[in-house]
Amino acid sequence: MGRIRELVEYREMTASLVRRELRGKYKGSILGFLWTFINPLCQIVIYTVVFSMIMRSGLENFNIYMISGMIPWFFFSGSVLQGAGCIRAHANMVKKIYFPREVLPVVVTTFQFINMLLSFIFIIAVVIVEKGRFNPVAWGYLPLVMLTEYLLALGLALLISACTVYFRDLEHITSVLLMAWVYLTPIFYSMETIPDYLLPIFRCNPMTPVIEMYHSIIYYAKPPETAALAQAFLSAIAFLVLGSLVFGKLEENFAEEL
Amino acid sequence: METISVCEVKKSFKVYFDKGNMLKERILFPNRNRYERREVLRGISFACQKGEAVGLIGKNGCGKSTILKLLSRILRPNEGTITVNGRVSSLIELGAGFHMDMTGRENIYINAAIFGLKKKEINARLDDIIRFSELGESIDNPVRTYSSGMYMRLAFSVAINVDADILLVDEILAVGDVNFQSKCFEKLREIKRAGTTIVIVSHAMEQLYEICDRLIWIEDGMVRMDGDVRQIAEAYLVSMESRRT
Repeated sequence: MGRIRELVEYREMTASLVRRELRGKYKGSILGFLWTFINPLCQIVIYTVVFSMIMRSGLENFNIYMISGMIPWFFFSGSVLQGAGCIRAHANMVKKIYFPREVLPVVVTTFQFINMLLSFIFIIAVVIVEKGRFNPVAWGYLPLVMLTEYLLALGLALLISACTVYFRDLEHITSVLLMAWVYLTPIFYSMETIPDYLLPIFRCNPMTPVIEMYHSIIYYAKPPETAALAQAFLSAIAFLVLGSLVFGKLEENFAEEL
Repeated sequence: METISVCEVKKSFKVYFDKGNMLKERILFPNRNRYERREVLRGISFACQKGEAVGLIGKNGCGKSTILKLLSRILRPNEGTITVNGRVSSLIELGAGFHMDMTGRENIYINAAIFGLKKKEINARLDDIIRFSELGESIDNPVRTYSSGMYMRLAFSVAINVDADILLVDEILAVGDVNFQSKCFEKLREIKRAGTTIVIVSHAMEQLYEICDRLIWIEDGMVRMDGDVRQIAEAYLVSMESRRT
């Protein structure tokens, strides 16, 4: 509780570091901030070629299906991957100044979250171009789904960033795991096409319900089921609590171990 | 009122012979992870009153800087307790967290935020900080274009203008030219009068004479002497002198 209060007190630090990330990310590149949009655009072109021309998925309006799962996935994987290295990347600051260390994973997750919000312009554009349906009631659930994903991503970022300080391989292990994880989440295909014996793996994956809710809102234009939302939210909270506890325990020796 | 109270604090560090952090190294060379514990502080106690300026002296490696890092909460003690009441600002590592591509003004915001200031508080101090740094027009240029002197002046100006209750200073009063240095001293005296507790680590005895009310002599991780500036400085110099021969 005391740590949460301190984190709130340092909100100006969090805000200015997020601004710094946003401004620093594209500084020096010619197209600058446009890359936020060019990057997913290129991805969608690649995946469209692969999944609607070579490996046919059978879903109609596949582009909407894919983009509505992929942009939230980028947010999640970006937070976890960048989060894994965030304490070590700021070793200089951690060793020299005091501030609540939780600020660093929070900054990474928030930065990725804002990137996702900006990319939603792109999702809306795709839905319009592909003549998908908009259901305002369903879209009303979006903030809750995003919050759920934010908490889940933050929990994992806290957990992995703290462990990476002591065990550097984790950064590489995380990137390999994420590579497999994207295919164990129903982003490029629907849950119906998954063989029964693989279903338990998909069910254990905390990202499955989150992505399914995005699909439900954006692709199927239906509000997510309340039970699914509640379940996903609770599991996100569980990850957040676990992450904070581990972080709080390991954080004491950061300055010495780096 | 006591702003700092340090009670029976012990601190030891792991000194790795050859640290292997990668999984491969851990498996292949288990011996590389051997380390020994080096006790740096072996039971230190002292307290500082509000508005007091305390100097820490002692030979290299005696634990002075470790004490400052413990006070600033960068490190945690292994045993004992440290109570610090109020906002801490440190002139320990100046400019940590500066971003080279951003302007001086933007860096003031980021750096002051790292000290825990809110936006409103930063706005209120912005002019003071810029004036103190003597950067003038350059404040809106990227920090990477600064000379090292300008860089240090900016960092110093932020750290000293955050209105801390406790200011920790580690051997960095060699910032800028003679004029700027004497301005820094003037500022230190001013904030001391305003009730800030100052803890200084320094080897420059004249500086300590000028500012400190009290000296603490640390030797081998223990407090050797604690008290009047002149008395302790003399005893310390005599002891250093005798060791040299």
